Amino acid sequence: MDNELFMNTQLHPPPEIAAHFEQPSSSSTMLNWSLMDPNLTQHSPTQDYFSWRKSTELQQKQSIFDSALSCGGGDGFIIRELIGKLGNSSATPNRTTPLTEFSGDPGFAERAARFSCFGSRSFNGRTNSSLPVNNNGKIVNSVKLTRVSSTPALNGLVSPMVPAGEISRKRKHLTKVKSKETPLPTVSPAPSFSKTAEGKGGKRRRQDEEKEDNTKGPEPPKDYIHVRARRGQATDSHSLAERVRREKIGERMKLLEDLVPGCNKVTGKALMLDEIINYVQSLQRQVEFLSMKLSSVNDTRLDFNVDALVSKDVMIPSSSNRLHEAGLQAESLSHHSYNNNSQLHTNVSSSNMMLPSPVNSVETSTLASSFTHLPTLTQFTDSISQYQIFSQEDLQSIVGMGVAHNPNHESQNMKIEL
Amino acid sequence: MASAYNPIYTDVPEKDVFALHFLQTLSNLRTQNSFSSPDNKTSDRVKKIKKAAYVSMARAAGGANRLWSRSLLHQAAKRNNKNVRFLRRKRRVTWLMRRRSNRGDPIEDVAAERLRNLVPGGGGMETSKLMEETAHYIKCLSMQVKVMQCLVDGLSPK
Repeated sequence: MDNELFMNTQLHPPPEIAAHFEQPSSSSTMLNWSLMDPNLTQHSPTQDYFSWRKSTELQQKQSIFDSALSCGGGDGFIIRELIGKLGNSSATPNRTTPLTEFSGDPGFAERAARFSCFGSRSFNGRTNSSLPVNNNGKIVNSVKLTRVSSTPALNGLVSPMVPAGEISRKRKHLTKVKSKETPLPTVSPAPSFSKTAEGKGGKRRRQDEEKEDNTKGPEPPKDYIHVRARRGQATDSHSLAERVRREKIGERMKLLEDLVPGCNKVTGKALMLDEIINYVQSLQRQVEFLSMKLSSVNDTRLDFNVDALVSKDVMIPSSSNRLHEAGLQAESLSHHSYNNNSQLHTNVSSSNMMLPSPVNSVETSTLASSFTHLPTLTQFTDSISQYQIFSQEDLQSIVGMGVAHNPNHESQNMKIEL
Repeated sequence: MASAYNPIYTDVPEKDVFALHFLQTLSNLRTQNSFSSPDNKTSDRVKKIKKAAYVSMARAAGGANRLWSRSLLHQAAKRNNKNVRFLRRKRRVTWLMRRRSNRGDPIEDVAAERLRNLVPGGGGMETSKLMEETAHYIKCLSMQVKVMQCLVDGLSPK
């Protein structure tokens, strides 16, 4: 997708580097970069895209870089040069192009420059190595590219971008041709990279819709979303809205990913959607199957009465409520003589025994109070006696639903065991 | 699955809420004469239970707050009595359909259509909204399945 010019390989290392590079662009910065170069092998364990491979191309890049260094000049221009050369020489990527994600970091320009200068190595490394690394579905869905912050560092880059602007404008039509769903065409990632790197400056020049929307951290939802159009994309409202829509859908796909089990291996919207559809269908079939089972089971055991359950504390979903109901059930059972009095008494006593062991002290107090109230509920349970018979299995089932709680849930850390 | 700040609200109440509603619906069913009579056909009974399950799920999940639950309840009510409200919805649906047909993303649209058929009330929604509803629907469905499973286990003869 042309949106996914960058993928989030790992952004944690870059901020450190960015912090390191929070200096005004200067030749000293360039020197720092060259100095960092031999140090990168130490970074390689932590950073995927810094898995360096020596190649002749690398040497060439290095030589270009060195020459650029020696020239001095605006480092922004040098960056552009490098990126341009990288663009011409990088291998053609396949669909899931490993490109770093825009995250609107303040130090993005420095990072971008840095990536470019370790350029061919990084791209080659990324092309081949980060694909298996990032094989979760997050690759595709980190479509946060339009939210780009305007950084002070970019101000310096605006002027040198004019010469490079022509280059990117020529490539503009290439990206426009790409449809959203087809894999990236054989245009190498570098021009896109350059385009987006420059795009910020270019777009700030145009001032179409400018707003920074940091997707790093949670932002309170504004009344409407400002989207910065990337360079090379049409800036009319339709395509912008289209892009916003796609991002929304991407967000929600991420959400759904967490819900549907086993869709981490699946990437791509279509396959994900198929998975989701299958899952929903299977859930619906499960409901149908269980209702069939319930209907056959309920032939014999339909007689339990829910009114007694719901009469007290009707709509308050709380664990104390559940246990209160269970307590009521136990009490009512004890007041009716059913199958086995002994069984009932053991039932009541067992439920009484279980209750003093709750984790939450609040629950304890409520439960204790509920159970001390049991003797006083005789008039209530007498009314229950008019209803249909409770069987012991029914109580178990009712309480069993309390048993089968999600044990991780905080407010329900009571466990009744029968 | 936990997110610190999820602007898409898909919270689902606890299991006992679902259980409560389901048992209520079941008991209502039971008081119906046609249900407990032995000469009832099994398939009708199954259908009724299934419908009860869905309706109770819709109610438990927040009633009219969610589109799918609203549409479910509306469908159920429609079956019982022939009052059909929400005439306004038709107009909205047609507008959305027109707008949607303009989008040219075949893969996504096909899958979205299938999803729309599955999730109740999905006909009148944009794709992004549809996916929100789907997420909530999935959560509620899984909760309902758990409740029913517990019930079946509890009630099945040991």
